[in-house]
Amino acid sequence: MIEGLLSLLSSPIVSRAIIGALLIAVVASTSGTLLVFRGLSFMTSGVAHAALGGAALGLYLQYTGIAPWFDPILGALLFSTLVAMITGYAGETGISQKMEVAVGVSFALSMSIAVFLMYYIPPTQVPQIWGYLIGDILLLDNLDLVLLGGTAVLLVLLFIVFHKEFIYVSVDMEGSIAHGLSARAYHYLMLITSSLAIALATKAVGAILVYAIMVAPAAASNEVVRSVRGVVVSVFIIAVLSELAGLAASFTVNASPSAIAGIIAAMSYVVAMHIKKVREHANSDLDELELAVPGHEYGHGGEMGERDSSGGDESTRVVSEEPV
Amino acid sequence: MSETLLEAHGLTVRYPEGEVALKDVTFSVETPSFMAIIGPNGSGKSTLLKTALGLLRPISGSIRLLGHDSTRESAAIRRLVRYVPQRDRIELTVPIKVKDIVLMGRLLKKRPPRIASRTDKRIAHEALQRVNMDEFWDHPFNELSGGQRQRVLVARALAAEGPVLMLDEPLAGTDAESQRLIVQVLGEYHTENDVNIIMVTHDLNPIHSYVDNVLLLRRTVIGLGKPCDVMDPALLTQVYGHSARVVEYAGHRYCVTRDTGVDRHHD
Ligand SMILES: Nc1ncnc2c1ncn2[C@@H]1O[C@H](COP(=O)(O)OP(=O)(O)O)[C@@H](O)[C@H]1O
Ligand SMILES: [Mg+2]
Repeated sequence: MIEGLLSLLSSPIVSRAIIGALLIAVVASTSGTLLVFRGLSFMTSGVAHAALGGAALGLYLQYTGIAPWFDPILGALLFSTLVAMITGYAGETGISQKMEVAVGVSFALSMSIAVFLMYYIPPTQVPQIWGYLIGDILLLDNLDLVLLGGTAVLLVLLFIVFHKEFIYVSVDMEGSIAHGLSARAYHYLMLITSSLAIALATKAVGAILVYAIMVAPAAASNEVVRSVRGVVVSVFIIAVLSELAGLAASFTVNASPSAIAGIIAAMSYVVAMHIKKVREHANSDLDELELAVPGHEYGHGGEMGERDSSGGDESTRVVSEEPV
Repeated sequence: MSETLLEAHGLTVRYPEGEVALKDVTFSVETPSFMAIIGPNGSGKSTLLKTALGLLRPISGSIRLLGHDSTRESAAIRRLVRYVPQRDRIELTVPIKVKDIVLMGRLLKKRPPRIASRTDKRIAHEALQRVNMDEFWDHPFNELSGGQRQRVLVARALAAEGPVLMLDEPLAGTDAESQRLIVQVLGEYHTENDVNIIMVTHDLNPIHSYVDNVLLLRRTVIGLGKPCDVMDPALLTQVYGHSARVVEYAGHRYCVTRDTGVDRHHD
C-alpha cells in the first residue's frame, strides 16, 4: 500500500502535477489576492477565455500557413494582455463597474473568435483549444512547468517589492496619486503580469480550474481573514489543499482532478460566508452589550472571543507584525 | 512676507461627458490659512480640490497652489500636499491595518520599497494619539465605524509631511464626538505648526471659530471672506436657496440650512 503510494508519487506525471499545483497556488496567492483586493476577480474569467481565443487564432494562423511561427501560446498571451489593457483602461480611475463591462465585452469577443476559428482549424487540432477550457493537471509537460515556474517567481518578486503600492492603489487610488505615486503604472503592472500568469496557467491546467483556484480561495479568505499577509497565506493553503485533494480523488475514484479541486475551492467560499455570518451575529450581540456599558469603545476587546468562536481556521490567526 | 496659498483665475472645469462643474472661478487666499470651502452637493468643491492637485485638467483658466500651476507643476504640488479624499473614494475591500493607512501618508513620499523607519512609526503613533485612535493601531481599517475611519484618515494627513493639508469632507458620515475631535485637532495643528489647511465641508458651523477664510462655492465663487462676513443671509441664500437662515447665538453666527446630508459622487 505504502509502496504503491510512493511509486505513484515518484511517477513523473504525478510529481509534475504536484509541482504544477504548488505553482498555481503561488499565482493565486499573489495575483488572485491582488485582483480580489482591487475588486477585479471577474477579470480572471475574461483573461482565461481570452487565452482560449488567442490560442485558437494561433492554431488558425499556423494551420493556414499565414504565420507558421505563431505558436498558440503567443496568441493566448497576446489576447490576455489585450483584455487586461482594455480592462485597465476602463478602470484607470478605479471604478470597477466600467471594468466589469469591459471584461464582459472582451469575454464575448474572444469566445466568439475561438468558436468562429474552430471551423477553419482541422478537427485534430480542436481538442488543443478545448484543452485551454477544461485542461488536465495530469497532462502538464516540462515546458508548461518552466513557463509557470518563471511566472510564479516573477509574481513573487513583484509582490515582495511592490505590494505596498498595489495595496495603496486598491485602497485609495486618488489619494495615492495626490501624494505623488505613479498609480497608473502600478495599476497596469499588476493587471498585465496577472494576465500573463492567468494565460500560462490556463494553458497548463485549463480555464475552469484557473478560475476556481484564482478567485474562490482569495474571495473566501478576504471575507474572514483580517490582515493582508493572512489573506496571502490562507489563499495559498486553500489552493494547495483543494488541488491536492483533487489529485488524490482522481486516483481513488475515477474523477477529474480539476473538477474536484474546483468544487472544494468553491466550497471554501461558502464556508467563509458562513463564518462571516456567525461572526457578524456575535458582533451584533456584542454591540448590544456595549450599548449597556457606557464608555466602552466599539469593536474593541470583542475580537478575540469572536475569532475563537469562528472555528479552528488556523489561517485566520496569522497576525502581521510589520506594516503590510 | 505672505505667499499665496491658493489662487484661481477664470478656472473652468468640465468632466468628459458631464456638464461644467466649475465656471470662471477666480479668487486668491494668502498663507498661512485654515481655509474652508463650503457649498451644497454638486457645487464643485471636490472638483476644485482635484483640479488644484492636477487630477483634473481645466478647459480654461488656471489654479495655483503655493505658486505652482496645477497642470504644469503637479509633481511639485504633490510633494507639498497631504490629501484626504472624500470618504466614498476609499475602498474597504482590503483588510489593511489602521497603522498601514497612517504610515501610507509618509511612505508614499518615499521610494520603493518604502520601509517604515522607527521615526515613521513614532510619528504615526503620535498622529493616532491626537485623534484618540492609537489603541486601534493593529485593527483592520475596514472594521471601524465611519467616524473612526475619518479620524484615522485625518491622522494619516497629520503624520505625513508637507505644508498643505487638503481634506475633502472629513466630517461627512461621522458621529458628533468624532466631528468635534477632528475639528479641534485640525484647529490646534494649524496654530501649533506652520501648515495650511484647506477643508471642504458642507457645513461651516462646526469649524467657523477655527477657520480664517471661507470660500462659498456654487459652480463659481459666491463669496470669500472671514466666517462672520460669509455668514450673510443674502450670500447664503444664493448658495443654499431660501431654506438658509442665519442665527446668532452666544456671539457667533450660525447658518441653518436643510442641506446637511453627505456629498455624493455621481460616477
Ligand atoms: N467623475 C465625474 N464625471 C462627471 N461629472 C461629475 C464627476 N464628478 C462630479 N461630477 C459633477 O460635477 C459637479 C460637481 O461635483 P463635485 O465637485 O463632486 O461637487 P461637490 O464636491 O461640491 O459635491 C456635479 O454636478 C457632479 O455631478
Ligand atoms: Mg464632494
